Amino acid sequence: MTDHHDEQPLESMEASDEVRDEVRIDLSGGDVSATTTGGLWRTAGREIVRKKSAIVGLTLLSVLLILAVFAPVIAPYDPNQVLFDEGVAPRDPPCIHLLGCDPETPQHILGIDGNGRDYFSRIVYGSRISLIAAFAAVLFAVFWGTIVGLLSGFFGGWTDNILMRVMDVLLSFPSLLLAIAVVTVLGPGLINAILAIAIVTIPQYARIVRSSVLSIREQEYVSADRALGVTRWRILAHRIFPNTLTPLIVLATLGVATAVLEIASLSFLGLGVQPPTPEWGSMLAAERNQVFTAPHLVFFAGLMIMWNVLGFNLLGDGLRDAIDPRLGK
Amino acid sequence: MKRFSKLLVLVFVMALIAAACGSSSEETTTTAASGGTEATTTTAASGGTEATTTTAAGAEFAGMMVEADCDDPTNTSNINYIKAVDENTVEIQLCTQDVAFPAKVAFSAFGIVPQEYLDANGGGGALVDAPVGTGPYMLKQWDKGNQLVMEKNPNYWGNQAITDTLVFKWSSEAAQRFVELQAGTVDGIDNPGRDDFALISDSPDLQLKERAGTNIFYLGMNRDKEPFTDERVRQAIGMALDRQRIVDNFYPPGSKVADQFMPEPIFGYTPEPKWYDQDVEGAKALLAEAGYPDGFEVTLNYRDVVRSYLPSPATVGQDIQAQLADIGVKVNIEVMESGAFLDASDAGELTMYMLGWGADYPDATNFLDFHFGRTASDQFGAGFEDIWDLLDEGASTPDPAARLDIYEKATALIKQHVPMVPIAHGGSGVGYRADVTNAQASPLGNEYFAVMDPGGRDTFVWMQNAEPIGLYCADETDGESLRACEQITESLLAYEIGGTNVVPALAETYEPNEDGTLWTFHLRKGVTFHDGSAFDANDVVASYDAQWDLNSPNHTGRDGNFTYWDALFGFKNNAG
Repeated sequence: MTDHHDEQPLESMEASDEVRDEVRIDLSGGDVSATTTGGLWRTAGREIVRKKSAIVGLTLLSVLLILAVFAPVIAPYDPNQVLFDEGVAPRDPPCIHLLGCDPETPQHILGIDGNGRDYFSRIVYGSRISLIAAFAAVLFAVFWGTIVGLLSGFFGGWTDNILMRVMDVLLSFPSLLLAIAVVTVLGPGLINAILAIAIVTIPQYARIVRSSVLSIREQEYVSADRALGVTRWRILAHRIFPNTLTPLIVLATLGVATAVLEIASLSFLGLGVQPPTPEWGSMLAAERNQVFTAPHLVFFAGLMIMWNVLGFNLLGDGLRDAIDPRLGK
Repeated sequence: MKRFSKLLVLVFVMALIAAACGSSSEETTTTAASGGTEATTTTAASGGTEATTTTAAGAEFAGMMVEADCDDPTNTSNINYIKAVDENTVEIQLCTQDVAFPAKVAFSAFGIVPQEYLDANGGGGALVDAPVGTGPYMLKQWDKGNQLVMEKNPNYWGNQAITDTLVFKWSSEAAQRFVELQAGTVDGIDNPGRDDFALISDSPDLQLKERAGTNIFYLGMNRDKEPFTDERVRQAIGMALDRQRIVDNFYPPGSKVADQFMPEPIFGYTPEPKWYDQDVEGAKALLAEAGYPDGFEVTLNYRDVVRSYLPSPATVGQDIQAQLADIGVKVNIEVMESGAFLDASDAGELTMYMLGWGADYPDATNFLDFHFGRTASDQFGAGFEDIWDLLDEGASTPDPAARLDIYEKATALIKQHVPMVPIAHGGSGVGYRADVTNAQASPLGNEYFAVMDPGGRDTFVWMQNAEPIGLYCADETDGESLRACEQITESLLAYEIGGTNVVPALAETYEPNEDGTLWTFHLRKGVTFHDGSAFDANDVVASYDAQWDLNSPNHTGRDGNFTYWDALFGFKNNAG
């Protein structure tokens, strides 16, 4: 990254009264300290708008979101409808009448898949599965990761030792391999794939939350709360937790991209979304043998996976740059 | 010699008396014979089934004999005894006539292995990974997951293999097989993809050999598992499928919709009765009658492995899923690993599954008896006694016309009971480099590579759909394993190269007695196994007994199922 900017002078942050509402982060080290900003999120918003890559990411994701939300309107066919009765054959190439395709031939702008279904409709509906599955996996992981991280960081001692060693064990496996192992135990399927991906990513969130907590719990405002006799749970919920959110959001945004890829990978291996549900990874797997005879069936599914991952990565990068003031200096 | 003959008779009489007594405990008698030879009689009884193993003394050769009691109701075997009459003669006495017996004996699952090697490995272990046979190629290395390398057997009794080395590779991806053939990294590929047929035919560098559709692809249902315990549910599934749509869209040229389980080129096919026409409303009505007006949910299992009978498992599975949705049946697809899938289907653990069968030998018994006979596996559940009786009758009726009448009735019963839905007879092919001579596409799937010349190169590289599961093919049913075994081990008889006629192999000649119950095989002399040991009649008896006798210490194999022997001849000591 060569174009980091931080429009917010550090001095002005330190002068702010909203000390406890915002944090300054260092994703690499997890060092978190309270900052003084009059509106970090507003600043972050302005920063994102100025970053071309983040705008590209937002645009890519917006298109996907529109496809997902309005799929029944955009898709010309039910994604599972077999169209052999309408005169199509398996793996018919794309036919667009405007581009000169024979008007007698039914229009299927991305062609027909191996089972005689409209490929464009399946691609469109696939965006729903991909986004929902990825978000669900990340939310699940963030939820449990946050709990583990808060408990571990705040209470320390044996709690910290036990929880973190469990997290270390999970981190010691390559994530996809561990996800495959989890799905093998739970059985294939969308829900189990989401669970598997969530489980293997919990340690990342737990560690970043823990490192935030370790730093925040030593802050003066936390000491002040203690001195005032505020209960530990109240401190955890109202002082520490809100200040761990910023690094979590950045990590989660980048995590969605990883989750998209892992859902697609599991489905490609036949362990994720099961047929006939349209999912890009399983669609890619189903037609991989036809790469020479029907390349469009491999190309578009692959393109959509790339589109999705690229969108979240660009947005995540932009978000990180925007809300980490130090990166610009 | 007279004294010895008397002793032999005495031993037999003693064995028969011991067997007739039906002792519930094990009893062993050892009798020393004069003239430096020894005869041993062992009578073992377990689980209510008696069997006698006799090693008869000979002047220079101690011939083995294993036998069973045909009248014992717990004995499911049709074999009375197997006897090494002398070093080069084997007799097999059947309980009832089996007109397909030579065709069964020729099957590669019944390859002969050295008795000593069998005993040394307890009927399993190295036999599975490092087989020793008499074939034109010897196993050099099995690099699991990668390739199987064989080298020429320099002491082969027949014509030596043309190439020094034969390599088996595999890929489940039709596209990869085709690309490798195009690139010249392999000399032959099995089952080109549906769309690759024309590309191979049109290429000047390649040649296509079409394989007749002597196979069947079916949708199996287990009558012991809900909801298929109700015959009406199975009939509904049988009516619901548009089988023509499946063949038209997912099968290569030369494929046909299956009217019945038997393929037309195999003896036992009868033009009538034909399968149900598609009738979605009729299927719904049957389901409603059976108490499933809104359908039901079921798991469909298959293995993602390409076969001649199923060139595109995933798309066919999804089409069946879509078609059954029309009658309210929600199908959940579950793909399994190939070996686990076959084991689970054999054990009757699967409710609904896609499976198929390619001809091993050209007779109805290979299709009907193997799947629906008394000794068939549990893949369809408990089986159907009315079908068993007809198939038993068909297997022992010498008159072909009378047999066809019987098989017509059996086919009608299969249509009524619907243990499966016959869907397609898949046409398939084999692709070769254009410079390969003597290239074949065996209708039985047993291409014989020893006679192929890959343009003068010293290595022939073959790429098939999947890795062999094991190389002790007595305990395998997988075509990919059997093809590899056929290069290494040999049976008493064989099928002609590229055809289905039975020809001599390790037995030079054979003849039945008048009523077709006693078969005598005259073995080829001077044959040696790959380990240098000499081939004789005891190797035949030992190889057969390891499969036949459930109590044999050599009845081990890879998973111990010995499915082919059980289905074709039946086990002895089979109390279950």
